[in-house]
Amino acid sequence: MSREAYTVPTTAPNLGRDQSFSSEGPAVNYLCGDCNSKVALKKGDPIRCKECGHRVLYKERTKRMVQFEAR
Amino acid sequence: MECSPNWTTPGGEDQRGTPLVRIDHNISSERRLTTLAILLVDMPPKKKAGGPVEVSAASKGVASKKVQSQQEHSSEGNDPVPDTKRKRAKATPANIQPTNSKSDDGFSALLEPFYGGKSLTDPINTAQDKWNLLPAFLKVKGLVKQHIDSFNFFVDHEIKEIVKANKRVTSDVDKYTDIHIGNPERLDYDDRKPQNEITPNECRLRDMTYAAPIRVDVKYVRGKSIVARKGINIGRLPIMLRSSKCRLAGKNDRQMAHMNECALDPGGYFIVNGTEKVILVQEQLSKNRVIVETDQKKGIVSASVTSSTHERKSKSYVMLKKERITLQHNILQEPIPIVIILKAMGIQSDHEMLLLVAGTDSTYQDEFSVNFEESSKLGVFSQHQALEYIGNRVKMGGRNKTQGAPQRRNPVGDGLEALANIIITHVPVVGLDFRPKALYICFMVRRVLMAMHDPKLVDDRDYVGNKRLELAGQLLSLLFEDLFKKFNSDLKMNIDKVLKKPNRTMEFDAFHHMQSHGNYITLGMNRAISTGNWSLKRFKMERAGVTHVLSRLSYISALGMMTRISSQFEKTRKVSGPRALQPSQFGMLCPSDTPEGEACGLVKNLALMTHITTNDEEEPVRKLVFVLGAEDIVSMSGKEIYEVGAYVIFLNGTPLALTSQPKSFLNAFRRFRRLGRVSAFVSIYINHHTNAVHIATDEGRICRPLIIVENQKSKVTAHYLESLRKGSMDFDDFLYRGLIEYVDVNEENDSNIALYEAEINENSTHLEIEPFTILGAVAGLIPYPHHNQSPRNTYQCAMGKQAIGAIAYNQFSRIDTLLYLMVYPQQPMCKTRTIELIHYDKLPAGQNATVAVMSYSGYDIEDALVLNKASCDRGFGRCQVLRKYSTQLRKYPNRSQDRIGDRLLDERGQPIAKHAVLGHDGLALVGEQISSGQVYISKEVPLNTASTGIGSDYGTNEHKPAPMSYRLPDPSYIDKIMVSQTENESRVIKVQTRQTRRPELGDKFSSRHGQKGVVGIIVNQEDMPFADTGVTPDIIMNPHGFPSRMTVGKMLELLSGKAGVLNGTLEYGTAFGGSKVDDMGDILIKNGFSYSGKDFVTSGITGESLPAYIFFGPIYYQKLKHMVQDKMHSRSRGPRAILTRQPTEGRSRDGGLRLGEMERDCLIAYGASQLLLERLMLSSDAHEVDICETCGLMGYQGWCQTCKSTRGVTRMTMPYAAKLLVQEMLSMNVLVRLRLEDEFPHPS
Repeated sequence: MSREAYTVPTTAPNLGRDQSFSSEGPAVNYLCGDCNSKVALKKGDPIRCKECGHRVLYKERTKRMVQFEAR
Repeated sequence: MECSPNWTTPGGEDQRGTPLVRIDHNISSERRLTTLAILLVDMPPKKKAGGPVEVSAASKGVASKKVQSQQEHSSEGNDPVPDTKRKRAKATPANIQPTNSKSDDGFSALLEPFYGGKSLTDPINTAQDKWNLLPAFLKVKGLVKQHIDSFNFFVDHEIKEIVKANKRVTSDVDKYTDIHIGNPERLDYDDRKPQNEITPNECRLRDMTYAAPIRVDVKYVRGKSIVARKGINIGRLPIMLRSSKCRLAGKNDRQMAHMNECALDPGGYFIVNGTEKVILVQEQLSKNRVIVETDQKKGIVSASVTSSTHERKSKSYVMLKKERITLQHNILQEPIPIVIILKAMGIQSDHEMLLLVAGTDSTYQDEFSVNFEESSKLGVFSQHQALEYIGNRVKMGGRNKTQGAPQRRNPVGDGLEALANIIITHVPVVGLDFRPKALYICFMVRRVLMAMHDPKLVDDRDYVGNKRLELAGQLLSLLFEDLFKKFNSDLKMNIDKVLKKPNRTMEFDAFHHMQSHGNYITLGMNRAISTGNWSLKRFKMERAGVTHVLSRLSYISALGMMTRISSQFEKTRKVSGPRALQPSQFGMLCPSDTPEGEACGLVKNLALMTHITTNDEEEPVRKLVFVLGAEDIVSMSGKEIYEVGAYVIFLNGTPLALTSQPKSFLNAFRRFRRLGRVSAFVSIYINHHTNAVHIATDEGRICRPLIIVENQKSKVTAHYLESLRKGSMDFDDFLYRGLIEYVDVNEENDSNIALYEAEINENSTHLEIEPFTILGAVAGLIPYPHHNQSPRNTYQCAMGKQAIGAIAYNQFSRIDTLLYLMVYPQQPMCKTRTIELIHYDKLPAGQNATVAVMSYSGYDIEDALVLNKASCDRGFGRCQVLRKYSTQLRKYPNRSQDRIGDRLLDERGQPIAKHAVLGHDGLALVGEQISSGQVYISKEVPLNTASTGIGSDYGTNEHKPAPMSYRLPDPSYIDKIMVSQTENESRVIKVQTRQTRRPELGDKFSSRHGQKGVVGIIVNQEDMPFADTGVTPDIIMNPHGFPSRMTVGKMLELLSGKAGVLNGTLEYGTAFGGSKVDDMGDILIKNGFSYSGKDFVTSGITGESLPAYIFFGPIYYQKLKHMVQDKMHSRSRGPRAILTRQPTEGRSRDGGLRLGEMERDCLIAYGASQLLLERLMLSSDAHEVDICETCGLMGYQGWCQTCKSTRGVTRMTMPYAAKLLVQEMLSMNVLVRLRLEDEFPHPS
């Protein structure tokens, strides 16, 4: 009974936000630092290559045009 | 530099012919051989240009070489004779090792540093080819072998000793536990799942520690049985890179590249929390050796010894003051007469004592006999009395108090204890046999007497032989021992706590307790290395600044850091002794490489061939001494010891034996050492002043290899060098065969070393391997340093570390805080052997600029340089600046955490200007240009990090933006963004930005001769002067730079470089050797140039020919890291400091330019009062205040609160800082009244 009454923490907003925005937002591509495979991550996803489990990822280069001043 | 094609084009085609012609001429033999080889091989011309590169180095790292050499050994037998196309025998191992990247075309084998372009058939000249031993040495030992050897020794031997010494943990409550700790071992590197191994570079990127677990085997009692457990983890030890436990050990180039590691990286450092940390070599006075010194003013002669054992470290003195000799020690309240000490040690009769101290020499006897009176005056006649006397003067430390002893023990016991265990601890007293220790003190007294008699017989503290170098391994072992002892005592305490309980719930298992505080050792190690604070309670050692962050400014700066030695002397003391160049550091420490300024001479660098010894066992040496016919000294009387012709043999400073034939003893001992019966690093030498033979086996002595000379002949003959060239022998074989030996400073001083083979005479004992090894790695970059004024070489040593160039092969896969990279680095045209040995030609930092030494335009005064604009367009001096901006997304205890927010959009749906470069994930887009004020990580932090979540204490769930925005005035490009996780699972984001910079006005350049200059003007190519070949210089240098600086080496570099360019070769400027000027002149003449290196030059502006011939040719120029773009700063208005309301300070805060005290003084002296007012107040912190004339205090809004009136209140302007001062003083109860006066009073 007393256990029933103590439900407050579960109803409390989830302070650790990791679950809440794992699905939100578009996925961004990263490259694995070890096997160079593409890893699509959304916000809050754990940082880990899906192929090899390596934990160093690099963000992919922008698709926008970049113009350099050649001097 | 652009001109190198220009240089080569005129002779482009007929270059193949040149070597043919050149042979007829008299060229230095080394170079002639090069050409011979080329002829034999009949290389295509293109390759020939690379031919001279020939001598550049192995593309493999030091460690990989080791493996290779082993393989060479194994395959020696079936190794086919190398085909004629191979220029170097070293090419063969490449075939054996198919995985090696070198094997593919055999080309990189041609790049092996060996044998100066000789083919196998070339005759060997020992006088010139013995330097081949040097690359062989570096191949076996590596560049920073000192650090790595020391660490390996710690990990393989010392750590076992420590554990052995502390192997038993016994609980004092129950007889239950009894733990033996067996051997530590380490196997793998990380306990994470799928890959258990971790690469150093991953540690760097992820801010982790490169460490290995320390495992122990334990045996303990559980219940009624003895349980043995193996491989229990007790902590993690940071691993030195390239040490035997490192993953990189013995890997070849390809494997290194696969791990994203540079094959040329020297290793020898640690990675702790992602930063590279070096434990610098520490210089100290040697332990356990007697040092005799005199103080002329006070008339004191003292012999001191710092005893150091595992348990204790203390210093004892034998002092002669006012003709009385006393012994002093921290534990003793006052100096104790020496006779009493010796009496207490059981030398009962005065006669025996006299003989042991003075021998039969009447002068010494007379000096000493005064001391007998002293003791009889004090009424000390027997050993018992003496011990009582000492015991009464022993300071009682905390040791006895803690045991709660109510009163002192008996003084005799105290005295005995002090003498046996505390005073001169390193001479052990076994079973109360004080004889060895008494003898030791007698020798100290004797040294004091001798020094008093002959003031020359004092020791020199600055003599390198009296110094010991402390390396990473030793420091770590001290630390580990401390931590391990604490770990054990904690373990014991925990076990005791459990065992004290009368009834336990479960069976007691000590194993669980071992697991419970496993972090202690790990954390202790990491903390010490990352902060550099070595605090050991046992020795009361508190040292800060032991470790430094490895400087990665350039390859050379990293290398220079690994060879650096820091001294324990204070920098402020004004004594010149420790700073001066010591003759005894010849060949051991670099004479040129030391910083300028306060640390000058205190920070030193190791020379190229030095080795620092590790500890060797004493026992075999002791046995050998007696085998060689020396007699044990313990049984000797003073008369025998000091007999004419009797020499005392000291082992590590402790008297051990007596011999009457020191010379033959010494020779026999050396013979045994050369045979390999004792360690090669044991040194022996005779000191004829004190009639002593000293044998040293201790650690930290500096030594270097020398060729042994016997019967006026060098033991290294052509035959052996041939085997070396063939690869059938390596450096260690030379050592084992007794052709080479390691000689430490003391032994070096006792031998006659011939510099060149021709100089060997009947007295010679050794032959120098190569004279240029007296310089270190950094000074070795300088071409022709022996032609320069010495301070110039020192300047270059400082500047070579600031040069921008290639850092490492993995420079693009590592993300450093600040990284300067040169876009087109070149290897120098005029190189040195050292450059090849340290692989500077692989990771160069500079470019070969064609220099005209002439005056041009007046923008070249005071060492300013004139740069060719077209050269800059083509890439001269172009560099990249890579910066790291990193952040960790923290997790807070209440489960809230930092997060990455989204970009903000404006009303049109476009991101706002600040967020223009952000992507969907809140991180900047890779490749975008980012300019000041723009956000690259839109981080958000939780507003509430304190709430517990218990009950109704949630707090808000809001985050507030804490964006990281780009701060620099100049834009950059986002080069790379890395996301990862650290060991504690928090996310780390590293953003690397890149700027590409071309040289601009004010950028700093320097040649390799300490000749730095800034760019004064950049001139269009058409306005530059040109030579008759059409060549325009890249740099014009003012000739006034030469006369006062006397850098003749720079001129020679130009000459050799020019000859090399014309000839298609790389010339050498090796110290005490290198290409000869005459030969260079010949080459120049042959190519139609003046032998002097001067060219006919036409002005680019007027078209007139210049009235003088211009010294013209390539000089290697380094671009230094000081660039205008990083320093340029101006401000009109800007931020102000909150407290004082004055402008902020510093460029990074957009600060103002300070009008300092001296400038102020000038203005005062000049009387520029209004300017002063404007600078110091109006433009700074002017502030309007209301001041009450009646009370002199400050009011507000025209109202004086003190007088409660508005009558006397006046408005005036004063500096805010002054107002602040007044108020601060008021707050401290100091009343400040301001009295106002009219500046221009009314006449009235």
